[in-house]
Amino acid sequence: MAEARKSMIKFKPKKFKAGDTIKVDFIVIHPMETGTRKDKKTGKIKPAKFIDSITFSFDGKPFTSMKVWETVSTNPYFSVNMKVPGKGKITVDYTDNTGEKNSKSKKLKPKG
Amino acid sequence: MKRRNFIKSICAVSAVAATITPSVLLAKDAPKGANVLTYDAAVAAITGGKAVADSDKVKLTVPEIAENGAVVPVKVNVESPMTESDYVKAIHVLTTKNGNARSVDVMLTPMNAKGYFATRIKLAGTQDVVALVELSDGSFLRAAKPVKVTIGGCG
Repeated sequence: MAEARKSMIKFKPKKFKAGDTIKVDFIVIHPMETGTRKDKKTGKIKPAKFIDSITFSFDGKPFTSMKVWETVSTNPYFSVNMKVPGKGKITVDYTDNTGEKNSKSKKLKPKG
Repeated sequence: MKRRNFIKSICAVSAVAATITPSVLLAKDAPKGANVLTYDAAVAAITGGKAVADSDKVKLTVPEIAENGAVVPVKVNVESPMTESDYVKAIHVLTTKNGNARSVDVMLTPMNAKGYFATRIKLAGTQDVVALVELSDGSFLRAAKPVKVTIGGCG
């Protein structure tokens, strides 16, 4: 945990039951620098800084992993589907090409 | 005449210097590393030389015209039963003309219940966005769509 980044996990729809298929959206505030852009003020090239891997897991069991490159937009957004197995916790772990590690989790509370 | 020639030669030298130095500096500051990859090389690296078939099962949703190349929404839907024996193993989002052809490689499991993935990518210019899908039996499917990137507003 190098630096607390603003990130968010969203479930769509908000109300769901165990066994339903829902969307899990993950958004993080991150510059996603490509390493080829110049800083207009100093004229120096901004060093590359982008998220390179993401893992979605349910109660510690990974169900989706991603390899990400710098061609993904600033403040990236990723959306996947999942079948709700029951009560638990969704955790998203993400690392950066500079070695910065972060994670975000949210409780999964199916009703009914 | 001597003075004129002297000034001319100075101009020529400085012009050459101006054109050379930035590229030399660029090469020093940003070494072209592993992240620069062409589309064909990326496909070859993913498939390992296997045949890729265009398929209707892969639905790629991208805007026809993107006003801002920095934020282009991409949505991939793959028809699949997503059972233990038959599921979508991976979805690769590629572009044909970006410096780095790869955008995201998503590894899915049967727990995802649907072969679905959405994100937002950057496009350097008008080009094709390609979704390369690997199924659990090892076969590859592909869907491609062109995206027109307008730079500088109305055109």
